[in-house]
Amino acid sequence: MNSLECGHEDRVVRAVLSGTWPGEDPALAAHAEHCEICREVVEVAVVLRADHQLARHEVQVPVAGQVWWRCAVRARLESAQAATRPMTWLHGVTAAITIGLLLAGIGMAWPAIVEGAGWAREVVGPLASNAEVSVVVSGVLRQSVLIALAAAACLVVAPLLLYFVLSND
Amino acid sequence: MRDLTLTDMERLGAFDEAERTFQMTEEAFRVFYELTARPVQVYLSRMTGDDRLADDLLQETYYKFLRSNATFDSDDHRKNYLFRIATNLVRDHQRRPRVEVAASPATQEGVASPADAHTAERAAARIDLARAMAHLKPRERSLLWLAYAQGWSHQEIATALGVKTASLKAMLFRARHRLAVILKNPGGRS
Repeated sequence: MNSLECGHEDRVVRAVLSGTWPGEDPALAAHAEHCEICREVVEVAVVLRADHQLARHEVQVPVAGQVWWRCAVRARLESAQAATRPMTWLHGVTAAITIGLLLAGIGMAWPAIVEGAGWAREVVGPLASNAEVSVVVSGVLRQSVLIALAAAACLVVAPLLLYFVLSND
Repeated sequence: MRDLTLTDMERLGAFDEAERTFQMTEEAFRVFYELTARPVQVYLSRMTGDDRLADDLLQETYYKFLRSNATFDSDDHRKNYLFRIATNLVRDHQRRPRVEVAASPATQEGVASPADAHTAERAAARIDLARAMAHLKPRERSLLWLAYAQGWSHQEIATALGVKTASLKAMLFRARHRLAVILKNPGGRS
Protein backbone atom coordinates (compact mmCIF):
# COMPACT_ATOMS: atom_id res chain seq x y z
CA MET A 1 0.00 0.00 0.00
CA ASN A 2 1.23 3.50 -0.79
CA SER A 3 -0.20 7.03 -0.68
CA LEU A 4 -1.87 6.62 -4.12
CA GLU A 5 -3.91 3.53 -3.38
CA CYS A 6 -5.48 1.51 -0.64
CA GLY A 7 -5.78 -2.27 -0.54
CA HIS A 8 -9.53 -2.00 0.12
CA GLU A 9 -10.19 0.28 -2.82
CA ASP A 10 -11.41 -2.44 -5.21
CA ARG A 11 -13.82 -3.85 -2.63
CA VAL A 12 -15.19 -0.38 -1.94
CA VAL A 13 -15.74 0.25 -5.65
CA ARG A 14 -17.43 -3.13 -6.13
CA ALA A 15 -19.72 -2.50 -3.14
CA VAL A 16 -20.74 0.94 -4.43
CA LEU A 17 -21.32 -0.26 -8.00
CA SER A 18 -23.33 -3.28 -6.88
CA GLY A 19 -25.57 -1.01 -4.81
CA THR A 20 -24.72 -2.74 -1.51
CA TRP A 21 -22.80 0.17 -0.04
CA PRO A 22 -22.57 0.81 2.89
CA GLY A 23 -24.85 -1.79 4.51
CA GLU A 24 -23.45 -5.16 3.53
CA ASP A 25 -19.97 -4.82 4.98
CA PRO A 26 -19.87 -2.62 8.11
CA ALA A 27 -16.16 -3.26 8.60
CA LEU A 28 -15.42 -1.91 5.12
CA ALA A 29 -17.67 1.09 5.74
CA ALA A 30 -15.84 1.78 9.01
CA HIS A 31 -12.51 1.57 7.20
CA ALA A 32 -13.68 4.00 4.53
CA GLU A 33 -14.61 6.55 7.17
CA HIS A 34 -11.00 6.70 8.34
CA CYS A 35 -9.18 6.07 5.05
CA GLU A 36 -8.81 9.23 3.02
CA ILE A 37 -8.43 7.36 -0.27
CA CYS A 38 -11.45 5.10 0.24
CA ARG A 39 -13.52 8.05 1.40
CA GLU A 40 -12.77 9.88 -1.83
CA VAL A 41 -13.49 6.73 -3.83
CA VAL A 42 -16.90 6.50 -2.17
CA GLU A 43 -17.68 10.18 -2.71
CA VAL A 44 -16.84 10.02 -6.40
CA ALA A 45 -18.18 6.53 -7.14
CA VAL A 46 -21.56 7.12 -5.48
CA VAL A 47 -22.17 10.26 -7.57
CA LEU A 48 -20.96 8.74 -10.84
CA ARG A 49 -22.85 5.49 -10.33
CA ALA A 50 -26.09 7.35 -9.58
CA ASP A 51 -25.67 9.44 -12.71
CA HIS A 52 -24.84 6.37 -14.77
CA GLN A 53 -27.85 4.41 -13.54
CA LEU A 54 -30.18 7.30 -14.25
CA ALA A 55 -28.69 8.04 -17.65
CA ARG A 56 -28.81 4.40 -18.75
CA HIS A 57 -32.56 4.36 -18.21
CA GLU A 58 -33.19 7.75 -19.74
CA VAL A 59 -30.94 7.56 -22.77
CA GLN A 60 -32.48 6.86 -26.15
CA VAL A 61 -30.42 5.09 -28.76
CA PRO A 62 -31.37 4.38 -32.37
CA VAL A 63 -32.29 0.79 -33.17
CA ALA A 64 -29.49 -1.49 -34.35
CA GLY A 65 -30.97 -1.86 -37.84
CA GLN A 66 -30.96 1.89 -38.37
CA VAL A 67 -27.33 2.24 -37.33
CA TRP A 68 -26.37 -0.72 -39.53
CA TRP A 69 -28.26 0.76 -42.47
CA ARG A 70 -26.56 4.16 -42.14
CA CYS A 71 -23.16 2.51 -41.87
CA ALA A 72 -23.88 0.40 -44.96
CA VAL A 73 -24.97 3.39 -47.04
CA ARG A 74 -21.97 5.42 -45.91
CA ALA A 75 -19.58 2.58 -46.71
CA ARG A 76 -21.10 2.28 -50.18
CA LEU A 77 -20.82 6.03 -50.73
CA GLU A 78 -17.19 6.10 -49.64
CA SER A 79 -16.41 3.14 -51.90
CA ALA A 80 -18.04 4.94 -54.82
CA GLN A 81 -16.05 8.10 -54.09
CA ALA A 82 -12.85 6.11 -53.86
CA ALA A 83 -13.66 4.44 -57.16
CA THR A 84 -14.21 7.73 -58.99
CA ARG A 85 -11.00 9.28 -57.69
CA PRO A 86 -8.69 7.54 -60.24
CA MET A 87 -11.07 8.54 -63.06
CA THR A 88 -10.82 12.19 -62.07
CA TRP A 89 -7.03 11.91 -62.09
CA LEU A 90 -7.14 10.15 -65.44
CA HIS A 91 -9.24 12.95 -66.93
CA GLY A 92 -6.78 15.54 -65.70
CA VAL A 93 -3.79 13.66 -67.06
CA THR A 94 -5.53 13.10 -70.41
CA ALA A 95 -6.33 16.80 -70.73
CA ALA A 96 -2.74 17.76 -69.88
CA ILE A 97 -1.33 15.29 -72.43
CA THR A 98 -3.73 16.51 -75.14
CA ILE A 99 -2.78 20.15 -74.58
CA GLY A 100 0.90 19.22 -74.56
CA LEU A 101 0.62 17.26 -77.81
CA LEU A 102 -1.33 20.09 -79.42
CA LEU A 103 1.29 22.66 -78.47
CA ALA A 104 4.09 20.35 -79.61
CA GLY A 105 2.31 19.77 -82.94
CA ILE A 106 1.87 23.50 -83.47
CA GLY A 107 5.49 24.09 -82.57
CA MET A 108 6.70 21.47 -85.04
CA ALA A 109 4.39 22.64 -87.82
CA TRP A 110 5.04 26.37 -87.29
CA PRO A 111 7.75 26.76 -90.02
CA ALA A 112 5.49 24.99 -92.52
CA ILE A 113 2.55 27.21 -91.55
CA VAL A 114 4.64 30.35 -92.04
CA GLU A 115 5.89 29.02 -95.37
CA GLY A 116 2.33 28.11 -96.48
CA ALA A 117 1.05 31.56 -95.51
CA GLY A 118 3.76 33.17 -97.64
CA TRP A 119 2.90 30.93 -100.60
CA ALA A 120 -0.82 31.71 -100.23
CA ARG A 121 -0.10 35.42 -100.19
CA GLU A 122 1.81 35.06 -103.45
CA VAL A 123 -1.00 33.06 -105.14
CA VAL A 124 -4.03 34.89 -103.74
CA GLY A 125 -2.57 38.40 -104.14
CA PRO A 126 -2.80 38.52 -107.97
CA LEU A 127 -6.20 36.79 -107.95
CA ALA A 128 -7.67 39.27 -105.48
CA SER A 129 -7.00 42.08 -107.89
CA ASN A 130 -9.35 40.37 -110.37
CA ALA A 131 -12.96 41.58 -109.66
CA GLU A 132 -14.81 38.40 -110.80
CA VAL A 133 -12.58 36.11 -108.83
CA SER A 134 -12.91 38.21 -105.69
CA VAL A 135 -16.77 38.12 -105.88
CA VAL A 136 -16.74 34.31 -106.14
CA VAL A 137 -14.19 33.96 -103.36
CA SER A 138 -16.08 36.30 -101.01
CA GLY A 139 -19.35 34.34 -101.63
CA VAL A 140 -17.64 31.03 -100.83
CA LEU A 141 -15.97 32.56 -97.78
CA ARG A 142 -19.31 33.90 -96.48
CA GLN A 143 -20.82 30.40 -96.73
CA SER A 144 -17.75 28.85 -95.12
CA VAL A 145 -17.96 31.27 -92.19
CA LEU A 146 -21.60 30.34 -91.58
CA ILE A 147 -20.75 26.61 -91.71
CA ALA A 148 -17.80 27.16 -89.40
CA LEU A 149 -19.95 29.10 -86.90
CA ALA A 150 -22.60 26.32 -86.92
CA ALA A 151 -19.92 23.68 -86.38
CA ALA A 152 -18.39 25.65 -83.52
CA ALA A 153 -21.80 26.07 -81.90
CA CYS A 154 -22.38 22.31 -82.15
CA LEU A 155 -19.00 21.64 -80.60
CA VAL A 156 -19.83 23.86 -77.63
CA VAL A 157 -23.49 22.97 -77.21
CA ALA A 158 -23.29 19.20 -77.76
CA PRO A 159 -21.10 18.41 -74.73
CA LEU A 160 -23.26 20.67 -72.56
CA LEU A 161 -26.43 18.93 -73.73
CA LEU A 162 -24.87 15.54 -73.15
CA TYR A 163 -23.79 16.58 -69.66
CA PHE A 164 -27.25 17.76 -68.62
CA VAL A 165 -28.98 14.71 -70.10
CA LEU A 166 -26.61 12.20 -68.53
CA SER A 167 -26.32 13.97 -65.17
CA ASN A 168 -29.93 13.01 -64.42
CA ASP A 169 -28.90 9.34 -64.46
CA MET B 1 -17.59 18.83 -59.10
CA ARG B 2 -20.93 17.24 -58.22
CA ASP B 3 -21.42 15.52 -54.87
CA LEU B 4 -21.68 11.80 -55.25
CA THR B 5 -25.08 10.50 -54.23
CA LEU B 6 -26.61 7.04 -54.18
CA THR B 7 -29.84 6.03 -55.86
CA ASP B 8 -32.40 3.92 -53.99
CA MET B 9 -31.24 0.84 -55.88
CA GLU B 10 -27.64 1.52 -54.88
CA ARG B 11 -28.73 1.91 -51.28
CA LEU B 12 -30.39 -1.49 -51.42
CA GLY B 13 -27.19 -2.89 -52.91
CA ALA B 14 -25.23 -1.28 -50.07
CA PHE B 15 -27.13 -3.46 -47.63
CA ASP B 16 -25.84 -6.65 -49.26
CA GLU B 17 -22.38 -5.23 -49.78
CA ALA B 18 -22.10 -4.27 -46.09
CA GLU B 19 -21.95 -7.93 -45.08
CA ARG B 20 -18.75 -8.25 -47.10
CA THR B 21 -17.27 -4.84 -46.19
CA PHE B 22 -17.84 -4.92 -42.44
CA GLN B 23 -16.06 -7.08 -39.94
CA MET B 24 -19.25 -8.72 -38.64
CA THR B 25 -22.64 -9.83 -39.93
CA GLU B 26 -25.76 -7.82 -39.32
CA GLU B 27 -27.06 -10.39 -36.85
CA ALA B 28 -23.84 -10.36 -34.83
CA PHE B 29 -23.86 -6.57 -34.94
CA ARG B 30 -27.39 -6.44 -33.53
CA VAL B 31 -26.39 -8.56 -30.55
CA PHE B 32 -23.23 -6.52 -29.94
CA TYR B 33 -25.09 -3.23 -30.37
CA GLU B 34 -27.82 -4.18 -27.88
CA LEU B 35 -25.13 -4.87 -25.30
CA THR B 36 -23.02 -1.79 -25.86
CA ALA B 37 -25.08 1.05 -27.36
CA ARG B 38 -26.49 2.46 -24.12
CA PRO B 39 -23.21 2.50 -22.18
CA VAL B 40 -21.41 4.03 -25.16
CA GLN B 41 -24.11 6.66 -25.66
CA VAL B 42 -24.05 7.62 -21.96
CA TYR B 43 -20.25 7.70 -22.01
CA LEU B 44 -20.22 9.98 -25.07
CA SER B 45 -22.89 12.18 -23.57
CA ARG B 46 -20.97 12.61 -20.33
CA MET B 47 -17.61 13.11 -22.04
CA THR B 48 -18.90 15.77 -24.44
CA GLY B 49 -21.63 17.30 -22.26
CA ASP B 50 -23.82 17.45 -25.36
CA ASP B 51 -26.51 14.84 -26.05
CA ARG B 52 -26.94 15.72 -29.71
CA LEU B 53 -23.23 15.53 -30.37
CA ALA B 54 -23.21 12.20 -28.53
CA ASP B 55 -25.85 10.91 -30.98
CA ASP B 56 -23.62 11.79 -33.93
CA LEU B 57 -20.53 10.35 -32.32
CA LEU B 58 -22.37 7.13 -31.50
CA GLN B 59 -23.08 6.56 -35.19
CA GLU B 60 -19.50 7.47 -36.06
CA THR B 61 -18.15 5.13 -33.39
CA TYR B 62 -20.02 2.13 -34.75
CA TYR B 63 -19.10 3.02 -38.32
CA LYS B 64 -15.40 3.13 -37.51
CA PHE B 65 -15.75 -0.06 -35.52
CA LEU B 66 -17.42 -1.91 -38.41
CA ARG B 67 -14.86 -0.66 -40.92
CA SER B 68 -11.88 -1.63 -38.76
CA ASN B 69 -9.83 -4.69 -39.59
CA ALA B 70 -9.02 -5.44 -35.97
CA THR B 71 -9.37 -8.97 -34.62
CA PHE B 72 -10.67 -9.62 -31.14
CA ASP B 73 -9.86 -12.29 -28.58
CA SER B 74 -13.08 -11.85 -26.64
CA ASP B 75 -16.25 -9.79 -26.28
CA ASP B 76 -14.54 -7.68 -23.63
CA HIS B 77 -11.70 -6.93 -26.01
CA ARG B 78 -14.26 -5.93 -28.66
CA LYS B 79 -16.06 -3.69 -26.16
CA ASN B 80 -12.80 -2.06 -25.04
CA TYR B 81 -11.92 -1.37 -28.64
CA LEU B 82 -15.30 0.27 -29.18
CA PHE B 83 -14.75 2.56 -26.20
CA ARG B 84 -11.30 3.37 -27.48
CA ILE B 85 -12.81 4.55 -30.77
CA ALA B 86 -15.39 6.59 -28.85
CA THR B 87 -12.66 8.14 -26.68
CA ASN B 88 -10.58 9.09 -29.72
CA LEU B 89 -13.59 10.62 -31.44
CA VAL B 90 -14.35 12.75 -28.40
CA ARG B 91 -10.70 13.81 -28.23
CA ASP B 92 -10.66 14.68 -31.93
CA HIS B 93 -13.83 16.68 -31.54
CA GLN B 94 -12.45 18.60 -28.56
CA ARG B 95 -9.31 19.48 -30.49
CA ARG B 96 -11.34 21.18 -33.20
CA PRO B 97 -12.20 24.86 -32.78
CA ARG B 98 -15.81 25.09 -31.71
CA VAL B 99 -18.61 27.29 -30.45
CA GLU B 100 -19.08 26.95 -26.71
CA VAL B 101 -22.25 25.12 -25.74
CA ALA B 102 -23.68 26.25 -22.44
CA ALA B 103 -25.46 23.07 -21.39
CA SER B 104 -26.86 19.97 -22.98
CA PRO B 105 -30.53 20.03 -24.06
CA ALA B 106 -31.31 17.23 -21.63
CA THR B 107 -29.90 19.26 -18.76
CA GLN B 108 -31.86 22.32 -19.78
CA GLU B 109 -35.07 20.27 -20.00
CA GLY B 110 -34.42 18.93 -16.53
CA VAL B 111 -34.16 22.42 -15.13
CA ALA B 112 -37.11 23.80 -17.06
CA SER B 113 -39.76 21.35 -15.99
CA PRO B 114 -39.02 19.37 -12.84
CA ALA B 115 -42.14 17.28 -12.34
CA ASP B 116 -41.61 16.84 -8.64
CA ALA B 117 -39.10 17.39 -5.86
CA HIS B 118 -37.32 14.14 -6.63
CA THR B 119 -36.90 15.05 -10.29
CA ALA B 120 -35.63 18.48 -9.33
CA GLU B 121 -33.15 16.94 -6.92
CA ARG B 122 -31.89 14.52 -9.57
CA ALA B 123 -31.62 17.30 -12.13
CA ALA B 124 -29.64 19.44 -9.67
CA ALA B 125 -27.29 16.55 -8.89
CA ARG B 126 -26.80 15.96 -12.57
CA ILE B 127 -26.00 19.60 -13.25
CA ASP B 128 -23.55 19.66 -10.33
CA LEU B 129 -21.79 16.61 -11.70
CA ALA B 130 -21.78 17.98 -15.26
CA ARG B 131 -20.22 21.23 -14.03
CA ALA B 132 -17.67 19.39 -11.94
CA MET B 133 -16.76 17.11 -14.84
CA ALA B 134 -16.40 20.14 -17.10
CA HIS B 135 -13.53 21.33 -14.88
CA LEU B 136 -11.60 18.11 -15.53
CA LYS B 137 -9.39 17.25 -18.46
CA PRO B 138 -10.98 14.97 -21.08
CA ARG B 139 -8.74 12.07 -20.11
CA GLU B 140 -9.59 12.51 -16.43
CA ARG B 141 -13.29 12.41 -17.26
CA SER B 142 -12.83 9.20 -19.23
CA LEU B 143 -10.78 7.60 -16.47
CA LEU B 144 -13.27 8.39 -13.74
CA TRP B 145 -16.28 7.37 -15.76
CA LEU B 146 -14.87 4.03 -16.82
CA ALA B 147 -13.56 3.28 -13.34
CA TYR B 148 -16.43 4.41 -11.14
CA ALA B 149 -19.52 4.52 -13.36
CA GLN B 150 -18.83 1.43 -15.44
CA GLY B 151 -16.62 -0.38 -12.93
CA TRP B 152 -13.88 -1.33 -15.35
CA SER B 153 -10.60 -2.80 -14.16
CA HIS B 154 -7.38 -0.82 -14.49
CA GLN B 155 -6.29 -3.16 -17.27
CA GLU B 156 -9.48 -2.57 -19.25
CA ILE B 157 -9.24 1.19 -18.81
CA ALA B 158 -5.60 1.21 -19.88
CA THR B 159 -6.50 -0.74 -23.03
CA ALA B 160 -9.45 1.47 -23.88
CA LEU B 161 -7.63 4.75 -23.32
CA GLY B 162 -4.28 3.65 -24.68
CA VAL B 163 -2.30 4.42 -21.51
CA LYS B 164 0.14 2.32 -19.52
CA THR B 165 -1.35 0.41 -16.63
CA ALA B 166 1.57 1.49 -14.44
CA SER B 167 0.78 5.19 -14.80
CA LEU B 168 -2.97 4.69 -14.55
CA LYS B 169 -3.13 4.53 -10.76
CA ALA B 170 -1.46 7.91 -10.33
CA MET B 171 -3.65 9.45 -13.02
CA LEU B 172 -6.77 8.00 -11.47
CA PHE B 173 -5.75 9.19 -8.03
CA ARG B 174 -5.23 12.77 -9.23
CA ALA B 175 -8.46 12.82 -11.24
CA ARG B 176 -10.49 11.39 -8.34
CA HIS B 177 -9.02 13.88 -5.90
CA ARG B 178 -9.80 16.80 -8.20
CA LEU B 179 -13.39 15.69 -8.72
CA ALA B 180 -13.91 15.09 -5.00
CA VAL B 181 -12.64 18.59 -4.20
CA ILE B 182 -14.84 20.19 -6.88
CA LEU B 183 -17.92 18.24 -5.75
CA LYS B 184 -17.38 19.41 -2.16
CA ASN B 185 -16.84 22.98 -3.23
CA PRO B 186 -18.86 23.51 -6.44
CA GLY B 187 -18.10 27.23 -6.66
CA GLY B 188 -14.33 26.93 -6.38
CA ARG B 189 -11.68 25.13 -8.36
CA SER B 190 -9.28 22.42 -7.23
